[in-house]
This record gives sequence, C-alpha cells and structure tokens, in this order.
Amino acid sequence: MKALLFACCLVFSATVAKADLPKPKPPEKAAKYVLHTSLEIATDPKAYEAKLQISESSLKELRAALDGAPGNGAIVGGIALSPPRTIIAGLLMFMAISIAGILLARSPSFGRTQKTVGAVVLVAVLIGVAAIITRANAGPPGSYRWRNLPQALAEGKPTFGGVDIEIVPDADSGAKMRLVIPLKK
Amino acid sequence: MSAVTINRTTDDSERNPDFILCHQPPDLFGVVVFVSILAAAVFASWLPLQISIVTVFLFAGPHNWFELRYFLMRLPVRFGRSRNFFLTAFAGLGVLTLAYVSLPFVYNTQLWGDEAWSTIIAGWNTALLFWLGLLVWLRSRQKRRANWTWTIPAGLALCSLNWLGPDSFSLALVYVHPLIALWFLDRHLRRTRPAWLRVYRRCLCLLPLVLAAMIWQLTQSSPLPDSNGLFWRITQHSGAEMLPQVSSHLLVSVHLFLELLHYGVWIIALPLIGGLAGARVWDVKTVPVARHPRGFPRVVGMLLIAGFAAVVVLWFGFAIDYSTTRDIYFTVAMAHVLAEAPFLLRML
Repeated sequence: MKALLFACCLVFSATVAKADLPKPKPPEKAAKYVLHTSLEIATDPKAYEAKLQISESSLKELRAALDGAPGNGAIVGGIALSPPRTIIAGLLMFMAISIAGILLARSPSFGRTQKTVGAVVLVAVLIGVAAIITRANAGPPGSYRWRNLPQALAEGKPTFGGVDIEIVPDADSGAKMRLVIPLKK
Repeated sequence: MSAVTINRTTDDSERNPDFILCHQPPDLFGVVVFVSILAAAVFASWLPLQISIVTVFLFAGPHNWFELRYFLMRLPVRFGRSRNFFLTAFAGLGVLTLAYVSLPFVYNTQLWGDEAWSTIIAGWNTALLFWLGLLVWLRSRQKRRANWTWTIPAGLALCSLNWLGPDSFSLALVYVHPLIALWFLDRHLRRTRPAWLRVYRRCLCLLPLVLAAMIWQLTQSSPLPDSNGLFWRITQHSGAEMLPQVSSHLLVSVHLFLELLHYGVWIIALPLIGGLAGARVWDVKTVPVARHPRGFPRVVGMLLIAGFAAVVVLWFGFAIDYSTTRDIYFTVAMAHVLAEAPFLLRML
C-alpha cells in the first residue's frame, strides 16, 4: 500500500512538474520578401488622414508576387520559373562563347599575349553579365535616395525611392503596416 | 598630296551622285548639332508626356515618308550581285512585319499563358536576329576585305540574352532603334561631307554625357501620371511596367530624347545634307532609280504619293482617336525599323 501511494505521488508530482514547463515557442517566422517596387513619400497640407495610395499596376504585381506568379519582376524570377527558356539561353551562350574563343584562337592578327588578354576579358565579361542577370541590383544602395527625406518633408517636397515589400508575421508587426526608411545618422 | 585628294574626290563623285564638295567650315554644323542635342534633352526632360504627344502627332508619319524616300534613293536600278541580299531583305521584311502585326491578334485570343507568350516573343526576336545574321553574312561575301565573323558569336550572345528576358530584349530594341538614325547620318556624312564627320563624331561623344545628366537629374523624380489611357500607353511604351523601380519620368524622357534625335536626323539633317537632290524632296527625278533610263519613275512616284497619303491618313487618325492610332502606328511602324537594317548594311 505504501509502495502504491509512493508511486501515485511520484506520478502526480511528475505531472505537476511537467505541466509547469513553459509552452514551447513556435518557430520564428522570418519576414518574407515579396516584391521590390518604387515609393513616393509626399505631404499634403489639405489632407486630414494619412493615405496609402497603390497604383493598379503595383497592386497587380503585388497580387502576382503573393500568388507566386511570374508577374513582371526581376529577370532572375523569369529564369527561375522558365527552365526551357533558361536551357535555350544557356545553349546559345555556350555556342557564342565557344565560337568567340575559336575565332580568337585562330585569328592571325592577334599575338599570344593579346589572345590571353582577350580570353581573360571574355571570361570577366561573362561573369559580369551573369552577376548582373542573377543579382541585377547594381548601383548605389537604396538608402542613398532617402537621405534627404527629413529635409524634403520639412519643405513639403516629395521624395522618391525604392522599397522592398515584406510580409511579416502579425506577432512582429502588431497587425499594422510599418514603413521603415533606411536613414543613416 | 593635293593630287591624291583630287583623285579621291573624283572617285567619290562617280560612285555617289549626291557627293558634294564642301569647303564650308564645319563649325556651324557642329554648333547646330550641339544645340539640337541640348534642346532635345531639355524639352524631353521638362514636359515628356506633352512633347511626346505633339512629336508623334507631327513627325511620326513624315519621318517614315522621308525614310522611304531615302531608301528609294539608295536602291540600285538592277540588283546584280546583290540580288540574294535584297531578296532576303525584302522577304524577311515582309514575313517579320506580318508576324509582328499578327502578335496583338494572337494575344487577344487568350489561348496562351504568360510563359507561352514570352516564348512567342522570344521566337520572333530570334527570327529577327537570324535574319540580321543572314543579311550580314550575305553582305560580308561582297566585302572581301572586311572580316565580320565576330558577328556570329555576337548574334548568338544576343539570342541568348533574348531567351533570358524576351520582354527586356524587346524594350532594348525600342531604345536602340532611334540611335540607328545617328549611324545612318555618320555614314551619309562620310560619303557626302567628309569634312563634317570629325565634328559630328565629337558631338556624338556628348550623347552619353547628356544621357548621364538626364538620368542623374530625373532618377529621383516622381513617376508620371498614368491615370488616362494615353499617358498609360506612353509610359508603358517606355518600359514603366517592366522597370517599376525606375521613375517613369526618366524612362519617358530618355526615350523621347532619343526619338527627337531620330526624327531630327530623318526629317531635317539627311534631306538638307543631301544638297539640292535632298532639298527637292517632292521631285521624283531626284531619285536615281526613277531618273535612270531603265528605272521605274512611275513606281517610285506612286510609292511616294501613297506614302504621303498614309501620312495624311495618320494625321486624321491622330486627330480623331489619338490612342488607338498611336497603337496601330507603333505596331505597323515595325516595318521601317526592319527596313533600316539592310540599307544600313549596304552603306557599311
């Protein structure tokens, strides 16, 4: 009987102890990048409420991006979603590079040094083009266009720049929209 | 030295009937080109939509007429050794134009998805590049000294880029086409006013600087309003939908700037530089293929009259329904874009 009571107490205490454990945290959802588009921040002294105006084409793109449709996004999106076209493009580029190499090698008007330099330039151009196509985000950082925002707001002038649209979990955003401007101090 | 010069000019005169010895200093020409480039850039940046509407209304049709006349001026009476070249040129011109004009009808059937549609566009662009490659090959056979084999890998690389982004490739054609007129002017000056060529090429060096200044100035500008159908068409034509991260003001301004130069070359520069033959544009006898004893004056005359009638019809169309006429014009106008290729190759 004592043994039975001891066993019951042990089980009960274990249950109480386990029940006291905090609820396991759900895995953190990262913000999901959806679309890069343009944004204008403007002031209107006659308005009584802040307004978020979205053009029809932007809404269409956003909808397409959310649905996972190709839309009109960056070139890289088109590549990822179109394997046949990518294969054809790859084969053609392979032929272009091969024939250019053969022509360069057989050309009597170029010396060995010039051919080597030509080959290096060709490879560099190829890598550069590939980098532009796949990354396609060359140029100054996005924060550059927003650098004069405080001054422009004070003067009532519009400011125009790029914006990444991200979908964030409700827990992080507090179920409201948030605009983050990359201003450097 | 002077004997060599005299011999050379005599040869040039025999080869080119419109060759005119020009002793005037080229400075004035340089100033005119310089001011024209700057003025075009300022107007295109200032009121892009309004000036685009007025420019297309006034100059789109006439510039096609002047192009037609210029091509007729360059057409030989007998094709001779160039028979295959011209047959390929005209056959390709017809087939590619018909295919391009039929694309909107194919699109409206809604039988194709986005992916299939991109493949169709890529296919048309590939056919265009293949045709250009064929013309280059036929032309290179007539020019034994020239080595144009590099065009094969270049064409294949362009084909590859086209298949990666067919829409981007088509948009690139929209921006590159106006620049071809500057190439025509360069070749024409080389034949008729070689003294002006150096100044002209120096002025061309200004072009990238002006474009860079426009991009620098307009990159942060607000997008243009596309609230009505016409403004929307103009911004779409310049690639606003494909490049949402770029200000539509910048895109329309750059495209309009290039178009203004294009119209300026065809309507003003080339006819005026052509001398008397170029100035009397209405005179059929100034066209060699009509003037020649074995030529075709009636055909040339009818073509020019039909072209003039088309210009008048286009003006009426713009006055009645600008948006629809603009759509039709820019579809059918692909023919003149294609026609420039063989005639430019003939001048190289």
